[in-house]
Amino acid sequence: MRAPALAGEFRKHWPELNRNLVVGLTLALVTLPQAVAFSVTLAGVPPHFGIYAAIWGVLFCSLLNPSRVFHGGPNTAMSATIGVTLLPTSPPFGAEYMGLALTLGLMAGMIQLLFYVVRPLGRMLDLISEPVINGMICGIGLFLIFRSLTTFGGLPLNTEVEWPLWIAWQSFLAVLEIGNLHAIEVGLITLITCVVVQQFDRLRNWAILSGIVAGTLYSHYLNVRLGAENTLIEQIGNLSSIGFVFPSLPTFSQEAMPDLVAILPGALTLALLGLFQTVAAMRRMNRKAGGFTDSRKAIFSDAVSNCLLPFLSSLPTCASFNRMWLVHKLGTHSRVAIASSALWLLLLVLFLANLIAVIPMPAMAGIIMLLGANMINWEDIKPHFQSRPEAMVFTASFLSVLLLDLFEAVLVGAALAIAYSKWEQAHPGISLRGNVLKIRGNLYYGSLPVIEATYHSAIARGGDVVLDFSECFYIDQEGIRWLAAVKAGQKAAFVDRRRGGQRRVVERDGAGRRTEESRRETQRRRKQDRRRRSDF
Amino acid sequence: MSTFTGKLARVVLVVLASAGVYLVATHQHGQRESIRKAEVTLTPGCADKLRRYGLASGERYQSPYVLHKTGARITARGYSDEDVRAIQRGCNIIDDTQGRLAGDVGHERWNTTRFIRGTQLSCDHCHQSIGDKQDARGNPLKGSLSLGASWAMADMYDRFTGLLLPFELRQMQCYINSSNGYKPNISDDLIRDVTAYSRFLSVALDYKIGNHHDEQGVDEIPASATPKQGDDYVRGEALYKQKCARCHGPQAFGTEADGRVVAPALAGPNSWNAQSRNYFYYVSTILPGFICRNMPPGQENTLPNQECRDIAYYISNLPRPAGDRQGPVVALSHQVMMKVLPPLLRLTAADRSGGVPVERESGRDR
Repeated sequence: MRAPALAGEFRKHWPELNRNLVVGLTLALVTLPQAVAFSVTLAGVPPHFGIYAAIWGVLFCSLLNPSRVFHGGPNTAMSATIGVTLLPTSPPFGAEYMGLALTLGLMAGMIQLLFYVVRPLGRMLDLISEPVINGMICGIGLFLIFRSLTTFGGLPLNTEVEWPLWIAWQSFLAVLEIGNLHAIEVGLITLITCVVVQQFDRLRNWAILSGIVAGTLYSHYLNVRLGAENTLIEQIGNLSSIGFVFPSLPTFSQEAMPDLVAILPGALTLALLGLFQTVAAMRRMNRKAGGFTDSRKAIFSDAVSNCLLPFLSSLPTCASFNRMWLVHKLGTHSRVAIASSALWLLLLVLFLANLIAVIPMPAMAGIIMLLGANMINWEDIKPHFQSRPEAMVFTASFLSVLLLDLFEAVLVGAALAIAYSKWEQAHPGISLRGNVLKIRGNLYYGSLPVIEATYHSAIARGGDVVLDFSECFYIDQEGIRWLAAVKAGQKAAFVDRRRGGQRRVVERDGAGRRTEESRRETQRRRKQDRRRRSDF
Repeated sequence: MSTFTGKLARVVLVVLASAGVYLVATHQHGQRESIRKAEVTLTPGCADKLRRYGLASGERYQSPYVLHKTGARITARGYSDEDVRAIQRGCNIIDDTQGRLAGDVGHERWNTTRFIRGTQLSCDHCHQSIGDKQDARGNPLKGSLSLGASWAMADMYDRFTGLLLPFELRQMQCYINSSNGYKPNISDDLIRDVTAYSRFLSVALDYKIGNHHDEQGVDEIPASATPKQGDDYVRGEALYKQKCARCHGPQAFGTEADGRVVAPALAGPNSWNAQSRNYFYYVSTILPGFICRNMPPGQENTLPNQECRDIAYYISNLPRPAGDRQGPVVALSHQVMMKVLPPLLRLTAADRSGGVPVERESGRDR
């Protein structure tokens, strides 16, 4: 009796489950080369660090983070920060280095935990506006394309920290001049297959997979026909040594103390970099998916994951813009898909390592380039160009990703966004009609000089001035003191006609003193305002 | 229908772009291949050097230098035509990195100028006598940065990063810092040909792989190799004006005559950058070592250690470009310094000396 019911239930949910599993598999295949590349070329640790981050990091995040589009795992900027921080301490790939890499991750996790415990700290992360995030996304998209160029052309990666734009141009020229033509063919075939399959709505979820399959088949064909020693197409390589879990202990010995102190600033950068990206990506992608998740929950999930991962030989995790973009593009907003990507990856490296080994790197590079291109979406950017300040913030954050680095881009963008909002507040709309001085905006220390200038020029013209506060929302202590002084000067009358243009309160005498009636009126209005606000 | 057209347009665009990239790549590859096969026009220096070392294609190679020096007939595996051309191109690159003697810089020197920001620096300025400096009797000089000896220690552990640096990566470091430029890709012909030339030198001079020779690298001069007076900027300035300014110029911006670099810049936009190991504040032993063993040309090993350190200290205080790791903001500030300071200094120096700063030997007064 029970079995048929279960079967029915299963049949009912199967289409959705099936879709989630396909998306999970795609995500797993996209994460795999990134995991290998980030750990080896950026962080200077063996590939299993990245792969475990892509398995356990993604799994922990999908369990702890309620967002339906959040995809954690290894991250470009974080991996690069690990490499840069640890380079002065010890040679990469060594035991000492790996121990310190784990400690660095743990320290970053603990700092992130601090951001969760101290609420205002976490709230600070929300001060990144949408143009900043979109600028970053576009910058990262372009950066991913640039970064994949050399792998696409079958050339070794330029690992030195250099100015990315110039390196991108050099890499492009190098691909054209000395790139491996077979690798370029494989990359282009992958790219074209992907784009063609994407155009069929029913096959869209399979686009990336089919691209990889086409690229792999073509490279296999070339290898059989010409011999692998002639084609020289790089492949992912053997991952069969990777097991289920690989427990590890971060270094915390007395001898390592000087090093640990030295890498503390690096740990702070790592923690902030992770949190900034997580919060920004969550906000952007959740909004795109039509949902909302409190950023504190994301901070918590990141912090806890990063405290656990160093004990599993893994790189730290944070949100990945490009993979979250992929989750959204594939049209599946489900934590099942995300969790399944981790399990798929685990299964793949456990049982199909030999099959994965032959996937050519140029095909992977082609996929990453396509992801990068998809991240630059004109529909999302267009609204920012309708207002000049927003366009400036967007452009600044976009350019800083390319010219500076991700962390500095966030700082530049956030600073610009805050400066812009402060500038707006400091310039309230002031109009002088007849003897009525109307203030639209805030009356506070920043905007007072602007208001004072107009007020004094009105006074100088002679006669009394009526100050109209109908559209003034906030007055700070300095503003109140100024108003009292103005009132004492006996040259101004105050007006507030918040309701339907009716003049309500006119006070000519007794600076700042209110009648009982007007106080009751104000209270009533406040209550109404609150009710109206709650309607939203 | 419109969505179908849109999709079709997208596919066609991607296919066309891909085909375009592929066509350009095949064309560029073909061009490179034809350059690899073309006869090489040697610079006068290279023609002389390679003739003395008896470079020719053949089954066996016997070094005339070794024969002359030791009387031993050591035969090594010979070179194919392709190898010979690579060695010749490598020699040309070392001797004439900026391509001033080349008909077509881009092609004959594998676009070297693309990887160097300045217009003066050449490999030959540090690796003197085309990477193979010898005294009058033909003995290699200690600390002369010999390329052949460097190849013999091909894969070295870098003492700063602890990384095993292959010969190719070490060349790439030269491009980033010493020539204040950008790194060519490791598999570029530019790197490969210089490697071929260096390897040929090591065979011609009979350097055995893994052996350390005195002429390899710089003979570093630490503070402990001096009377321990401490390095002195003021002393350095005086010495510079006395002994170096005649060739390198009063502000160390290098001198050129008839389109040839007489002495390269030691400061300013054409010089090495602040990330280079020539930079005294980064590594304080390398530049003094270079100065003592290689400067002034023809009178090597005449300067006392302390004087070399003082000069190096002074030179490193002059304005120079930021390194690639210092980021665009620092780089910009350095550029401004390099643009603004020299004219100001020239102005004040002219005021003090009545117009001619070069001949003034201010060091003696102090």
